[in-house]
Amino acid sequence: MSRNPGGEPGLWKRLFTLRSRLSRPTEIGLGVLAFVFLLAVWAIVVATSSIKPQYMPSLLSIGEALYSLFVDFNFAADIYISVVRVAIAFAIAAVMAIPIGILMGSYRVFGALGEPVIDLIRYLPVPALVPLTVIWLGIGEGSKIALLWMGTFFQLVLLIADDAKRVPQEYVETAYTLGAKQRHVLGLVILRSILPTMVDNLRITLGWCWSYVILAEIVASNEGIGQVIWASRRFGKTPEVMAGVLTIGLIGLLSDQLIRLASKKLFPYLR
Amino acid sequence: MTQHEASTDDANFLRIDHVSKWFGGADRHAGMQVIDDVSMTIEKGELAVFVGPSGCGKTTLMRIVGGLDQPTSGTVMLGGEAVKGPDRRKGVVFQSYSSFPWLNVLDNVKFGLRFRDGLSAREKDEIARHYVDLVGLVGFESFYVNKISGGMRQRLALARTLAADPDILLMDEPFGALDAQNREFLQVQLLDIRERERKTIVFVTHDVDEAVFLAERVFIFSARPATIIEEIRVSETLPAKRDLKVKDSEQFLHLRNRIQAVIRTQARRTEEEMLRVAARRR
Ligand SMILES: Nc1ncnc2c1ncn2[C@@H]1O[C@H](COP(=O)(O)OP(=O)(O)OP(=O)(O)O)[C@@H](O)[C@H]1O
Ligand SMILES: [Mg+2]
Repeated sequence: MSRNPGGEPGLWKRLFTLRSRLSRPTEIGLGVLAFVFLLAVWAIVVATSSIKPQYMPSLLSIGEALYSLFVDFNFAADIYISVVRVAIAFAIAAVMAIPIGILMGSYRVFGALGEPVIDLIRYLPVPALVPLTVIWLGIGEGSKIALLWMGTFFQLVLLIADDAKRVPQEYVETAYTLGAKQRHVLGLVILRSILPTMVDNLRITLGWCWSYVILAEIVASNEGIGQVIWASRRFGKTPEVMAGVLTIGLIGLLSDQLIRLASKKLFPYLR
Repeated sequence: MTQHEASTDDANFLRIDHVSKWFGGADRHAGMQVIDDVSMTIEKGELAVFVGPSGCGKTTLMRIVGGLDQPTSGTVMLGGEAVKGPDRRKGVVFQSYSSFPWLNVLDNVKFGLRFRDGLSAREKDEIARHYVDLVGLVGFESFYVNKISGGMRQRLALARTLAADPDILLMDEPFGALDAQNREFLQVQLLDIRERERKTIVFVTHDVDEAVFLAERVFIFSARPATIIEEIRVSETLPAKRDLKVKDSEQFLHLRNRIQAVIRTQARRTEEEMLRVAARRR
């Protein structure tokens, strides 16, 4: 939609107009441009400086390392394991945090009970919990899932409780005067109203969950992306370390974009 | 039930009995009194308008009638039953836009229908479309709330509330945020809808023209704490069936000037009171 009667302002002008919208292809193009720029800088630095490859390997060697990880070391299985760990822990955390958060944000009694305890636990740094989970649950899958769960659940539950609190009172009262009972208000108004921000919060905490899985795998694991990165480091294989790190980034980018896309489809009324 | 009993029930359809409201405790030092011993009865099918200076307690009284706030003392009876909390019988159109942004126009109107028993999906659809039509939103059924204008949003709120089939309609400055044209248009529409739906309506406004144009009876409230200072039976002066031409009649102008004069003195009182409270705090 054009703001000036003279017609659509030029692309160049729109790029630098506060809050003006860009077309989808332009946005994707800009995203690609940033990647190309990053890669180019990397390539130029590698080619022109005297930094040793073991600190800054060439793009080609990182590509080769990624290829050999998949072909020779069955990297797909490690990715799969990490994804499954994140998926299980995150699903448990979300399934618990959503109803508990909504109750805490909607009934002061649950809020007053839960907030102080959860706030305390939330501030415990997750790495500091690793020894505890190992003491309690050993080094099996249980301790990893527990660690990821702790890192995610307590954050998520408070975010959801805050959102539930912020649902406008008008919506709640309107629902009552239209004949809704408390249980309807919880589901049809409060949950429904916070859904878009909840999806956002899930997206953000999913990112945190990914960093904790790598941590858990570095500390004690025989498989998973984190273990591959750590093992590669021990053998001084910097390209493999880079390839591993890059893989995590790509998985994050992918899941993030998928959730954003789903969000656009699910909540058309936000546009 | 005898004929006589039925008619007194109708005459006392809404009964506000010695209602007072304090916020923050009923004590002159800690709390603040907003409503001071208000009593009135409103007939079934009547359109009563509350006018009064800003901040005097009109919204608070309306919320008490709707069961959204509790009176500190006194009672409210609707159709012979004490008002305890909000429900479908007391429909409310709020001062601010309150339709659900995640639902389109038709689904907003349908929202209250899901709590009504014994309606098939088809009947619900028909009822909802009837009210969409009644408020003139045909063609906009699939629009989300943020894609329609302010005037349309208030019409949507009206349709949504009517579809739930309340016994009484409580409207709190529903047209307050609209421009003059939209406001007059909706006033006429409201009278028209009322004619067809035969609802009891309590309408809150601080627009005196609006009050006189719509009302059968106007209650003028004092500055905070609200008391009724005058009750004017507009229907004794103005015709029952009104169109915008009424606004030019001598009777209309006379009434509006009279009410305006009362409110002006009250508004000044509110400001003086605010200064006194501020001085006492200091
Ligand atoms: N929940 C509350 N707690 C404390 N004070 C309140 C509360 N609700 C309203 N008040 C105060 O009560 C007074 C009356 O408010 P109310 O909203 O009923 O006035 P009003 O007549 O509707 O005003 P307006 O015409 O501006 O809408 C105001 O001074 C307001 O600040
Ligand atoms: Mg008000």
